Amino acid sequence: MDLAPLYLSLKLAFVTTVVLVIVAAPLTYLLVYIRFAGKSLFEALLTLPMVLPPTVLGFYLLLVMTPQGNIGRFWKAVTGVPLIFTFSGIVLASLVYSLPFAIQPMKAAFEKIDRRLLESAYVLGLSPLSTFFRVIIPNAVNGLAASAILVFIHTLGEFGVILMVGGSIPGETKVASIAIYEAVEALRYRDAAMMCLVLVPISYLFLLLIDRLTRRRIYGT
Amino acid sequence: MELNISIRKKLPHFDLDVSFSCRKSRLLALVGPSGAGKTTIIRIVAGLDRPDEGRITYNGEVWVDTDKNIFLPPQERHLGYVFQEYTLFPHLTVARNVAFSADNNEDVPSLLQRFNIWHLKDRKPDKISGGERQRCAICQAIARRPRLLLLDEPFSALDAVTRQNLRQEVRKLKRELSIPVIHVTHDISEALYLGDDVLPMVGGRIVRKWMVQFMLKGRSQERERFTKKMDGYGSRDRRDLSVLYDSLEVMQ
Amino acid sequence: MYRYISNILIIGFIILGYSLSAIAGERLLVAVAANFILPSGELTEMFRDRTGIAVEATYASTGKLYGQIVKGAPYDVFFSADEKRPNLLEEQSLADTPFVYARGQVVVWTVDQALCGAAGWQAVVKNPEVKKIAIANTESAPYGTAAMIALQRAGLWNTLKEKYVFPQSVAQAFQYAETKSADVGFCAYSSALSDTGKGGCFYTVPEAPQIVQAACILKRTENRSAAKKFVTFMGSPEAQKIKEKYGYR
Repeated sequence: MDLAPLYLSLKLAFVTTVVLVIVAAPLTYLLVYIRFAGKSLFEALLTLPMVLPPTVLGFYLLLVMTPQGNIGRFWKAVTGVPLIFTFSGIVLASLVYSLPFAIQPMKAAFEKIDRRLLESAYVLGLSPLSTFFRVIIPNAVNGLAASAILVFIHTLGEFGVILMVGGSIPGETKVASIAIYEAVEALRYRDAAMMCLVLVPISYLFLLLIDRLTRRRIYGT
Repeated sequence: MELNISIRKKLPHFDLDVSFSCRKSRLLALVGPSGAGKTTIIRIVAGLDRPDEGRITYNGEVWVDTDKNIFLPPQERHLGYVFQEYTLFPHLTVARNVAFSADNNEDVPSLLQRFNIWHLKDRKPDKISGGERQRCAICQAIARRPRLLLLDEPFSALDAVTRQNLRQEVRKLKRELSIPVIHVTHDISEALYLGDDVLPMVGGRIVRKWMVQFMLKGRSQERERFTKKMDGYGSRDRRDLSVLYDSLEVMQ
Repeated sequence: MYRYISNILIIGFIILGYSLSAIAGERLLVAVAANFILPSGELTEMFRDRTGIAVEATYASTGKLYGQIVKGAPYDVFFSADEKRPNLLEEQSLADTPFVYARGQVVVWTVDQALCGAAGWQAVVKNPEVKKIAIANTESAPYGTAAMIALQRAGLWNTLKEKYVFPQSVAQAFQYAETKSADVGFCAYSSALSDTGKGGCFYTVPEAPQIVQAACILKRTENRSAAKKFVTFMGSPEAQKIKEKYGYR
């Protein structure tokens, strides 16, 4: 069995998780604590990847990630290499695809924090930024962990979007789900079954972990 | 050191309209039924809410001036605020809560000892009692050496014995700190026990400033003056006022 | 409001009546490889006009259709994009002997006008300006296999390795080239002849083997005579003309 696609899937899931938790935390803060015009529109936009068929999302991503597309052109100008059909490209696609899955558990965790805690921090002299790091984040650890794990398994199982923008380049964009699909298409059922056998327990294990994390209670409730 | 307040704010059921001042080493008690606007005042003083119009100055420093569009954020007012409950940081131990924004970390052990919570210093807030939590909250508020102390019904969730103990602590503290203290309560006996000045509030307005020392001597004219003052109030506010006054007479 | 509802009812009855008549008349269910979608539409229409037999076609990749058939999907005829899968079906006694119904040709296609007017396909793929070349999955997509063989015969397969991207099907290869995600693509000749395809230019690839597309009547069919009629029709000279129009031989 070729282990490269599995390794690539894990690498993709790991990178996506790290980047997304860092990106989603301030976005969630914006959604939970800041009042601004068009907030519900903004929130719906961030949730859209959850309900769009992955192929639709993938198609739009394909259009913007080509060297002619906005993002593709920008990326090439900055890094000098194209974005489409690269590992960075599928990371970007995964970020968009998994964003709502990062935000939802975080949002629940942020909303659980008593607002008087934040007010108390302000009165004690903390700026909103220090309050974010010293009060909100430490009290939302379970939510952050749940969202990280959810993003990890969601990215591990990602298929439709990568199918559209990946291009199945071995060692670069040919992740496990694509490799399994190709094996089935090519009638190599044994290979497909072997890879599934690795993926299923990993996903199951992580789901159990989420359950444990989100079930734990927080002080004051 | 003097805090001067004169603010107006439109609230859902009435208009808040108060003016008062508070000097150092004096405890000003705002007393009135719940929903009289007491907490709103204290939140405006802390900078957590904004008045529609008015001015707040501290020692000549302008905190709020709606005419000049001045609003000092809570971080820069440098005050201590003790909430009703649940405002200790649940992820930190008692000692770390007190040290959270302490002016000088060396103060922390003596503060914990003075308030009898030294033995709890390594516990998280959910592992101590309500009274111990409020002691910790008071330590947290004064550890940063504030210029003004705000107490918002700090004892209302506690049992009678614990409440009485803490009242005594606050009375001692007031003299030591030599800063102005504003204390909000719905309990008239607490207001009279702690307050140097007592401001009864009903429907967003301060009825009359009672000088406590006069009140305790008892003056029969008080009720008459008081009743005259009630002309401008609606029936609900009149009832609240009578209850306030009656409980005062019982005290005497 | 009532008019609105009655309109819906009328339309509903028309559709119902139409489908009832289709059931009453003879009806064929065929599974068709996605690359053959354009000629298939025209061919089935012509066949219905001639014989009164309605043909309903399902389009998907050969691999998917094969999987469905093995699991018992109720098709009468299977039009594959290769020979391998019809042969496999015959081996499993699921189908009659396969026959060739079309031969496709792989071409190099691009929308980039700067790449049009080159000496030939090899010059295009070797052009250093070409960073990405789309080739359909070489294992499961017959057009991908043919492209790989052509590149190997030209001695270019290994030297160009850095440039390849592998879409799942020849249709996706065309899509990558059309959106300029890839600079050029190994596409079906039929795609190059389509309206979209005319927006770019193509080069024939003589080194590539023809893509032999075979079909077979499935054993489970309950309408063997209609299926046979359709198969005969597919080999007729009129059908041949339509296939040629779309780039098949």
